[in-house]
Amino acid sequence: MIWLTWRQFRAQAITAATALAAFAIVLAVTESHMSSLYGTSGLTSCHGGTCAGLATRFLEQLTSGQSFPLLPDGSNAYVILYFLSVLVILITPVIIGMFWGAPLIARELETGTCRLAWNQSITRTRWLTAKLTLTGAAAMAVAEAFSLLQAWWAAPIGKAVGLGGSASIMDEGWFGYFVFPTHGITPLGYAAFGFALGVTIGLLIRRTVPAMAVTVAIFAAVQFVMPLWVRPHLIPPSRTIATIEAAGANVYSINGYRMAGTGFRGYTMALTGAAVPGHPGAWITSSGAVNAAGQPVSAIPAACQSAIPSVQAGGSPALNTCLASHGIRVAESYHPVSHFWPLQWAETGIFLALSLALAWYCMWRLNRRRS
Amino acid sequence: MTAVIETEGLGKRYRKLWALADCTLSIPAGHVVGLVGPNGAGKTTLINLATGMLAPTTGTIEVLGGRPAAGPAQLARVGYLAQDAPVYAGLSVADHLRLGARLNPDWDAGQARERVERLGLNPGQKAGTLSGGQRAQLALTLAVAKRPELLILDEPVASLDPLARREFLQDLMETVAEQQVSVVLSSHLISDLERVCDYAIVLVDSRVRVAGPVDELLASHHLLSGPRRDPATLPEGMQVISASHTDRQSTLLVRVSGPVFDPAWTVSEVGLEDLVLAYMKQDGGAGHRNRHMEVQK
Repeated sequence: MIWLTWRQFRAQAITAATALAAFAIVLAVTESHMSSLYGTSGLTSCHGGTCAGLATRFLEQLTSGQSFPLLPDGSNAYVILYFLSVLVILITPVIIGMFWGAPLIARELETGTCRLAWNQSITRTRWLTAKLTLTGAAAMAVAEAFSLLQAWWAAPIGKAVGLGGSASIMDEGWFGYFVFPTHGITPLGYAAFGFALGVTIGLLIRRTVPAMAVTVAIFAAVQFVMPLWVRPHLIPPSRTIATIEAAGANVYSINGYRMAGTGFRGYTMALTGAAVPGHPGAWITSSGAVNAAGQPVSAIPAACQSAIPSVQAGGSPALNTCLASHGIRVAESYHPVSHFWPLQWAETGIFLALSLALAWYCMWRLNRRRS
Repeated sequence: MTAVIETEGLGKRYRKLWALADCTLSIPAGHVVGLVGPNGAGKTTLINLATGMLAPTTGTIEVLGGRPAAGPAQLARVGYLAQDAPVYAGLSVADHLRLGARLNPDWDAGQARERVERLGLNPGQKAGTLSGGQRAQLALTLAVAKRPELLILDEPVASLDPLARREFLQDLMETVAEQQVSVVLSSHLISDLERVCDYAIVLVDSRVRVAGPVDELLASHHLLSGPRRDPATLPEGMQVISASHTDRQSTLLVRVSGPVFDPAWTVSEVGLEDLVLAYMKQDGGAGHRNRHMEVQK
């Protein structure tokens, strides 16, 4: 069965190996220039306060027109490469789900070859086990290889961001929506899940092309739901209450409100924190204004209403100062950098468990429904 | 000898439609069994149940004494050539033989190679580029080289031209003679089966109409012609399968256990084709009455 699995998988394996090789070559060619820029940036020997500035300068150098052959002059080669490489890792699981997962059973059902395969002296369970194990392992290996290559290539960028560098782009930090699912061990989980999802949808729909489309749709939804609604709660976030200044908070919208029959009553605000004091790089999952007693508030105190800027959007320093003097602070829920690996394990674990559940379902269905 | 296929009240329903109903059969070993019936009669359903591609809705089925596709040992005992002879288009002829060798413990590599050579198949050729006849031959090679005790073929010649059809059946008969394998073979073309089968099962409208060794069937069915007569007045034990009347003459195809002595009739033998066609023409009502009569006997 191993032989047949490999024989049927060979073409796809070659495609994946070619893609991986092309990816590696592009990154290897561009890596040397980036690491030499990093070497001359002074970041290797900086101390304390100077580092952030040097790091920012390094990132700015990278993002401002590093010309390369084949690219137009002045185009931001590293920005393009950075996002392309992240995008490749991000879509690898869904590509695997589409082209390895969905056809795995669906094509056999569609062309009738399942009737050939399932009437050799081998049970369907063994047939599917071999296919799922080998192809699934290949899927995980390919996804992780892309991720590790990109992590090696982008290491200087990561270090600069870690030292406090900021640029308008590429400074997402560890918990960024593009960084978190493409680094560490999450690519393993996403690849396994994408593959198992494709296989299952293929078995249910029994036709390859519609199964591919449905796989993409479901996977995209999962990629959306995961960071927005699931990941923040995988492990309990830490909580703190910080001053408006320390939280780098800003009032981002102000709305007037009325009470029925009483005319204009006041203003409400939405206050969000941008940083957690003492925890650089933390991921703030929610934040809001609280009063001196620690209770959530939304009304702007009457005394501060005169400080509201004339345009009804964004805060002003005067407003912030006034709010602070009325005891308003920012409550923040956040994941410090130390939560990175626990979150990675939790997310990967969830996807691996989902993949196993889907694989089990496929086995059960293949044996119970009988074709 | 044990039965190769034994069913008891077997039925398969797709949503509201019964593809096969109330099928009780016992096919003895050592025969080439023709499963005949019009398209949609339930032939493929019965075969899919026998190969474990489908699970029954009602009743039971045993193949060679075991549950279909129950495990590797059971799978190894049954060779199956599915309808339209599916093969992997992207794999070569040699790859298919390797597939067979890897997945079947009793694989007869010598026989497989010899067959492929004799049939003139190019081992390097992709199976997707083979002609319909060659594809069927390749699929048959896979089915027979695993050395099964029972070979099940679903419409193996339906898509072949007359010459390829004849060659395929001839080759099949040689293989059967060499390997002492029981065969169940379905077709909607009786002429194909007439040449190779010694046991027939007629399936019409999801139900088994008649089943038995061909020589017994031929011996117990007669074509009677004589002056016009109401079939209801026939003696007990004579079962009318089909009847046609002109103003003065009646022609009946009847099933009787013994010889027909009534001098009013001119008795002639029937061929398998006429016999099968007579059963196919039976309308549902007649079918019910006949079953009823069989119960009375």
